[in-house]
Amino acid sequence: MANVTARPALSRVGAGRFTRQERLAYTMLAPVFGTILVIVTYPFLLAVVQSVQDAAGREFVGASNYANALANPLLYEALGATGTYAALVMPTEIVLGLGLALLVHRVVRSTGVRALLFVLATIPLVLPPIAVGVIARLIYAPGYGVLNHLLIVTGIVRDEINWLGQPTTAMPAVASVDIWQWTPFVYLVLFSGLLTVPREEIEAAQVDGASGWQQFWHIELNYLRPLVLLIVFFRLADVLRVFDHVFVLTGGGPGNTTQLLSLYLYRIEFKYFDSGQAAALAVMVLVAVSIAYSLVTRALPVERR
Amino acid sequence: MRRLQWAPALVVAALLIGACQPATPGGNIGQKPAKLTIAAVQGNEDAALKAVAPLYEQKTGIKIEIVEFPYDQLFEKLVTTFKANSPTYDLVMMDDPWMPKFGTDESLQPLDSTYGIKRDSDIPDVVYDVGTWPPPRGPVPPKAKGKAAHLIGVTIVGNVEMFMYRSDMGPAPKTWDEVKANADKNKKPNFWGYVVRGKATNPIVADFLPILWSFGGDVFDQNWNVTIDNAASLKAVKFLVQDLKAAAPPGSESIDAADRSRLMAIGQAYQSTVWPGEITEIVENSTVSQVKGKVSYIPMPAGPSGKGIGMMGNWLLGVPKASSNGQAAADFITWLTSSDTQKTYVEKGGIPARKSILNDASLNQKNPYFAALAKSLEAVPNWRPRTDQWNAVETILGTNLNAALAGLATPEDATKKAADQIRTLMKGAGY
Repeated sequence: MANVTARPALSRVGAGRFTRQERLAYTMLAPVFGTILVIVTYPFLLAVVQSVQDAAGREFVGASNYANALANPLLYEALGATGTYAALVMPTEIVLGLGLALLVHRVVRSTGVRALLFVLATIPLVLPPIAVGVIARLIYAPGYGVLNHLLIVTGIVRDEINWLGQPTTAMPAVASVDIWQWTPFVYLVLFSGLLTVPREEIEAAQVDGASGWQQFWHIELNYLRPLVLLIVFFRLADVLRVFDHVFVLTGGGPGNTTQLLSLYLYRIEFKYFDSGQAAALAVMVLVAVSIAYSLVTRALPVERR
Repeated sequence: MRRLQWAPALVVAALLIGACQPATPGGNIGQKPAKLTIAAVQGNEDAALKAVAPLYEQKTGIKIEIVEFPYDQLFEKLVTTFKANSPTYDLVMMDDPWMPKFGTDESLQPLDSTYGIKRDSDIPDVVYDVGTWPPPRGPVPPKAKGKAAHLIGVTIVGNVEMFMYRSDMGPAPKTWDEVKANADKNKKPNFWGYVVRGKATNPIVADFLPILWSFGGDVFDQNWNVTIDNAASLKAVKFLVQDLKAAAPPGSESIDAADRSRLMAIGQAYQSTVWPGEITEIVENSTVSQVKGKVSYIPMPAGPSGKGIGMMGNWLLGVPKASSNGQAAADFITWLTSSDTQKTYVEKGGIPARKSILNDASLNQKNPYFAALAKSLEAVPNWRPRTDQWNAVETILGTNLNAALAGLATPEDATKKAADQIRTLMKGAGY
């Protein structure tokens, strides 16, 4: 603080509250604040306003949209489906991504191979979700799906498995697409984390006779923990937005089995045209996610001054 | 320099003010625009439109810019664009079940009274009727009662849902009973007697409605009372989810139109309902089909009601209320649907609605479904109920039918649940 006040450039100009540099800083930030205002704050405020209006957006209806949204049993089915989806994809992606990162970090020494793996891992991340859904459909489709064909040809099963048409297999099939697309993201983040672990600590542990597992558990995991939380942070946001491949694969079926929250919200807005209820749902989801994120953020080791 | 410090803030403020300005429709009325922008559906439905659009530019100097969206995104885009009264598009392509929503919301300009577009006797009345709001026949939604009917959309894709079967293996079914008998007779390992397009919501409803109507059932009666749970409707539900499913491939619950036509094209299915687009794109496309020339197309078979009823699935062009180039947009519609342009349009894969083209012998040879489409239009196919609540009704019905098809609910329970939900919805909407 003493250093700051000592800088002559920060001297106050006239009787204004801000120094010249502060004014310059705020002016430079104005476009950013303006952009955030337009693309985040303004739509959010609109959603809040819409959530207390009727479907046509003409009359104030108080909290009735919130009450209607909470009274709709389909909401709880969608929440249940989203929970099941998250429970399937998030642990699986973290375990597989972590395993892959450890394997490559410990086994692959060639810089070229590591770079190749980096590129390969990036490919699923840049594919449009709708394209991934279409490809997945060719794998799971009834009649001509590649997966059933392979299973029958190799003698693993005799009859086709109805992957997308029964609740027990539809959700895992839909989740598998997410796992395929996002495990590489977990791998990339955790592999980068492993590269930051000081070599001396690992070597010291090895001198002391620590096993591979002990090295991971007592040293590497400490460095990876904040990254895992960050992954949970990002993936939770993604899971709440999952739409395209579910829409392409099952359309939310069979019945409502794979109707995730995003698909449900879409239908309330664009099939039922109930903008008020859709806005109320969006506001409630945002509040719930904000609370969840603040809890996750508290667990992150933030550097404080 | 100090003045320049505020430049970024001023730019943002200017953008914000600009963004908040309302649209100014009608600004260019009477003037020839440099271009017309069309929001169109991506796929075979707009392929011919894209192919003939440059001809219009050659003729008039007006560039046609086509902005494509996948089916569902197009609908979302139109809903939000109309809600914002934005003049982004001069013309919009619309599936006919969307017309009640856009008609009720008064999102489109009347093409008859404003721009003088008239009915052409070479095009069946039902094709104009489907683009007219309020609907000229059948029940009228409460919000549209008493309003003058206007043409708000003109068909550019004359889709009617029909029936296809392997004519190299058996005769044409005249009734749904014969469809079932043929399905059972022809079913064998790795070959299915019937393909149910059973994916949740829109797909299964599109597959089911012609069966429902042919069985004498319906979703609503003439007074918007829900009839999906009456005896005739329940019989149709059972026919789909039990009788036809028994001859269908496993996984019917997730089969959509593309899967159905693929199963036909690779020689693994005997028959199903079909849209013209599937025929041109897959079943009769020699680069992907093993059954080209082995499949025939007929109007919907008859049910216990004695009638076979096809379903409209027309794509129409309309002019948004906010468009500032209404006259030029209407002129384009007139040019596109004219007899001369339609000949080129058909050569480029377009699906026509003109009787003279559908009944042309040489064109019939190239397009084996034309005769069936002409007969289907002549028989006056049904349209999906003309209510602005249709999207929600379809979602409810399609989810419950899908649950019944998957065995998650009995036909009785699924039908009752759907009927109860639709009644609640319609009551809430003032029906």
